[in-house]
Amino acid sequence: MQEEQKKKGGAKEGEIWAFGGGKGGTGKTFIASCVGTSLAKRGSQTVLVDMDIGGANLHSFMGLNRPQKSLTNFFEVGIPLSDLAVRTEVENLTLITGDIHSLTSDTIKFTQTLKLFRQLMKLNAQNVVIDLGAGSHLNTLDTFLVADKMIVVLVPEMIAVENMYHFVKNTLFRKVKKTLKDYGFREIAQHVWDRRQSYGIKNLKELMDYLKESFPYLGTILDQELAGFKISIVMNMVRTDQDIILGASVKSVLMKYLGIPIQFAGIIEHNDAVWKSVREQKPFMLNYLSSSCAKSIEVLVDNLMQGTEVAITGGF
Amino acid sequence: MPWEELKRYFDILELNPSASLRDVQNAYWRLKKLYAEESVALVPLADEFPEKMRKKVLRQVEDAYARLQAALKSELPKSISIFPAEPSAEKAPEEKPIEPTTFSGPALREVRERLGIRLDDISKLIKLRVELLKNIEEEKFDALPEAGYLKGQLKSLAGCLLLNPDKVAEDYLKRYQERKSK
Repeated sequence: MQEEQKKKGGAKEGEIWAFGGGKGGTGKTFIASCVGTSLAKRGSQTVLVDMDIGGANLHSFMGLNRPQKSLTNFFEVGIPLSDLAVRTEVENLTLITGDIHSLTSDTIKFTQTLKLFRQLMKLNAQNVVIDLGAGSHLNTLDTFLVADKMIVVLVPEMIAVENMYHFVKNTLFRKVKKTLKDYGFREIAQHVWDRRQSYGIKNLKELMDYLKESFPYLGTILDQELAGFKISIVMNMVRTDQDIILGASVKSVLMKYLGIPIQFAGIIEHNDAVWKSVREQKPFMLNYLSSSCAKSIEVLVDNLMQGTEVAITGGF
Repeated sequence: MPWEELKRYFDILELNPSASLRDVQNAYWRLKKLYAEESVALVPLADEFPEKMRKKVLRQVEDAYARLQAALKSELPKSISIFPAEPSAEKAPEEKPIEPTTFSGPALREVRERLGIRLDDISKLIKLRVELLKNIEEEKFDALPEAGYLKGQLKSLAGCLLLNPDKVAEDYLKRYQERKSK
């Protein structure tokens, strides 16, 4: 969670990996469950946290029934997290479910989320894998921003691409606003953005360029604070080479458009084994270990750990 | 070319400076295609990625590729991995220059082989049949299309091989015409 906790090589101690991405049904939960399993199997003490408020179903992907206790108990009654984490079939892997009956996104304060993360770290977890709900709700964005690795999942469809752009853009804008607020320039970004037409600003990058130019001091702050800002993208349900190229295109457009680094971290093949596995109520990474899909998850985890990328060869 | 400048061109093509020549070409063709027209990855941004910006990116991509191509010819060893990983990295020993004086079929093949590119890849990149590319290299002039078509095809091929398209087309067509007129 914190820079100082980072250690050399492999999975760093207490790293939070968050999966988000705007559109529902892109496979965030499935991939989060697989990535968590893969990390645990590599010997890392891992906690899966289902923060899909209202639509929590990560437990199903782990072949578990809905756990009795959920984050509701943590947020409302203050039950220690260690009591919430349930074992899974996978060694080193526990699950905290988000099935939040009485809570809506609005009732959880960001300070509560931070408290949650602090406690997660005390669980001796080396990896915390968070599955976020769909949408670009502020709470979702804030949680995403706390993570060490911000991972978005999309599928090769125009709407998924569109929602993903929206999500990444909102995440970055949120980060910019928070940063400026921390330095006492609370309203400036929003003020300029609301009047963007009169400033001749069309997008977030131009807004940032404008701020940097007009207030060099802010420019330095933004550069510093955004230095570590990096989004990793995963293209799920890949069928053809064109789908892989689309992933590379999306990466390119995001970089040129927002001016932030993007890692094309993985491609997950479309595979019938996935729905079979869910129906059989078994963790996919145990059940279909030798499937090409499971292998592509392993490659994804390698890439996320090492910062390497999907290789783009021909096909266009 | 100063290292910082080189690095900037690699950044534009979204590559690591350790990228191979094939990576450079692939990235160029891919990005060119992406920004040359409305594409699935661009449409959702609509006005936020206006035509002006798209064209600007396209120009940068073209420029970066041209500069890297020029750097390749003037300064760097003509091996498959064309650029040193670090500015201080040792230069590979000089190899004999790959640019022949006349671009005959066999010369084109030699350039291609030294660059480590397969006909298959070129075929995918520029959408020409492998058979046709083979005929060009083997100078099976009778099996080749008319000069008008061939010229464009040769230029595309030259682009893949980081050669001057006009010179390649001119040289090759000269041989082609001479043979045909016999």
